[in-house]
Amino acid sequence: MPSQPPLPPLLAPYVSNLPDSSLTLVSSILGATSNWLILRFLHAALSSPSPNAAFGSDELHNGTKKKVVLVSFMRSYEFWRTEAKRLGLDLARLAEKQQFAFIDGLSELFYAPQPTATSPSISPAGLGSSPRTTLPMRSPPGAVPGRSPQPAGPTATGARGNATSKQAEPGIAKKLHFSGRGLASLDALEKDISSVIEQQKSSMEDGDELLLIIDQPDLLLAATGPSMGIGATEMSEWITALQQHAHATVLTLATDAPLIHNASTSGGLATPIETEHAALVIGLAHRARSVMQLRTLDTGAAKDVSGVLRISRGGGLNASEESLEEREALYFIQRDGGVKVFGRGES
Amino acid sequence: MSFRKRNIGLSPGVDRNAVPNATSQPAAPETTPGIRPSPDDGRPTTSTGTRSLDNLLAGHAGLPMGKILLVEENGTTDFAGALLRYYAAEGVIQEQKVHVVGVPEQWGRSLPGLIGSAESLDEKRSDRRKDDRMKIAWRYERLGEFGAVAGSRGAPTNPGEQDAAAKEAPAFCHAFDLTKRLTHPSITNMSFIPVMPSKESPFPAILKRLQTAITSSAANTIHRIVIPSLLNPTIYPPNASQPEHVLQFFHALKALMSAHNTRVTAMITVPLSLYPRSSGLVRWIELLSDGVIELCPFPHSADAMATSGAATSQEEPPQGMLKTHRLPVLHERGGGSDQNVGQDWAFVLSRRRFEIKPFSLPPAEGDTEAQEASAPGGMPKKSDLEF
Repeated sequence: MPSQPPLPPLLAPYVSNLPDSSLTLVSSILGATSNWLILRFLHAALSSPSPNAAFGSDELHNGTKKKVVLVSFMRSYEFWRTEAKRLGLDLARLAEKQQFAFIDGLSELFYAPQPTATSPSISPAGLGSSPRTTLPMRSPPGAVPGRSPQPAGPTATGARGNATSKQAEPGIAKKLHFSGRGLASLDALEKDISSVIEQQKSSMEDGDELLLIIDQPDLLLAATGPSMGIGATEMSEWITALQQHAHATVLTLATDAPLIHNASTSGGLATPIETEHAALVIGLAHRARSVMQLRTLDTGAAKDVSGVLRISRGGGLNASEESLEEREALYFIQRDGGVKVFGRGES
Repeated sequence: MSFRKRNIGLSPGVDRNAVPNATSQPAAPETTPGIRPSPDDGRPTTSTGTRSLDNLLAGHAGLPMGKILLVEENGTTDFAGALLRYYAAEGVIQEQKVHVVGVPEQWGRSLPGLIGSAESLDEKRSDRRKDDRMKIAWRYERLGEFGAVAGSRGAPTNPGEQDAAAKEAPAFCHAFDLTKRLTHPSITNMSFIPVMPSKESPFPAILKRLQTAITSSAANTIHRIVIPSLLNPTIYPPNASQPEHVLQFFHALKALMSAHNTRVTAMITVPLSLYPRSSGLVRWIELLSDGVIELCPFPHSADAMATSGAATSQEEPPQGMLKTHRLPVLHERGGGSDQNVGQDWAFVLSRRRFEIKPFSLPPAEGDTEAQEASAPGGMPKKSDLEF
């Protein structure tokens, strides 16, 4: 095959047309990261449906427009933009068309550069003076999250559009800041994210769907933890609250063995970071409609296989109403960014 | 006449390499010493100061800018410290700004002395070899050489570019001598950031100094962040190893790197004996790093085995195993498709070089001893794969 389709046929039914209020879990480990799969979710939702319509399982859905809000705690906008470009997605243009919004949970989450005299010298490197320009913008929609998006929406989006295109970095809708501790700090983050979601929704028509992708929210738990008043329960409530704003939600979580198995095996030796992480991941897996597990080959590395993708039903799947075929496949990421997904023994 | 023309013809070849560079991402100016575009995708890379480590990094032949390389070490040896010294020394030679966290200035004075460029050392080595070898089939002699250097895929695939680079640019990677001390005018330019014990996390103060140093410097200054023995209790206060402190630091460091992704690289070492890989904290540190390399030195008593571990009497015996758990850029994209992934590597540290080469089991007579000695290195690997 000369070139791979951006969305492998085997994968297409699992990443496109996610049902209403569904939760999809993507689990990754150190040697098998999930970014490529998130990009496939983005592609399935955002690409113009013409060339790949045949792969979508449901033709009816091609009429609906989809929007995506991506919250990334581990990777910068620059990374997502360049990688999406390899798939033929222009995130900057999509952000202008209000189809896509990126929320930056990396650059200023825990340590924001103070807006002092040094900030002008930051701007060439891309940080800009965005914190100061976006902060006042945030408060009006943030104060009434999700309650009255219609009146606040058009003015807020208009102002936002100007603000983002003029001063802040293009494409980044909001930068998250963590401050304080416990539930209050999570609530503030939730308000930030939901205000962006509501802005996106304000330009939506009936039948449009909004997909929320949160890349590694477990980092938030790991980097704060029970000593700062945040545990697995708080995190999973936080995710539930965000889920309510979106049509469908995709989460990526780390499921490395030390993070999952230490909590159960080593008795009293497990540290809070391990027990809380395991509780969060297992709890979410029970709520999820499907779990897409990425891992490396059990038999060691191979030259033409990057890892194993296992798709299984989650605890939240309503088995009487819909069916989800469980399967395990191998995947291979080529140097050009294309992905092959194939069964064992095939190529 | 014709010779001159050919020489001119070479330079567009280098330019062609830089064109995708300019379109895909803002590249460091080509004149910056110590920076060159990756042969894989043209992103700017810098040398780690160890040639065979550069070659291991997923075809980029260097550490891509804006990436964090984590070097973990088992046991009480300090091989990772040697790697870190090479990295710092390379930064000094290339007149980059080197920031060292947590150690006093003596550390900077003990950097290894410069011998020359890494290429010149390689040539010397092969000359020496040539002398004590029979001159049979001299045309094929270099073939073995290519295989011996760890994954030197950049070199054999486009030798033309290598030659051109060697002619025009100053050396990308240098060789150092551990028994000598580095003397270079810009060695005083290194900055040492102390770890201040405090009730709160000691890291915000470090971050602030790094941040101001990077943002206040000229836009073409290249920075290296060197963090030896992170979380070592002789350097860091006990509360530093609380997840909310160290993980927030790593996250903020990652943010700093991505904000200045053409100007900064970082190399960090972690003592695994104090913070084992099976703990959740270390796993999160690894997840937050772009490259993760683990050094497993052989037990010291295994000298007898080590001599038989060398494939030939001419090779130096390996001193330990090296595992690559994650490589910059490659794994961010999803992993796979690199010939260096999943291989067993051995490393040798000698006075003049840190060499990484494929690990091969010794010939039959030393077999049982070798297996015994490599068992502590071999066992955790198996459990790593069982997820």
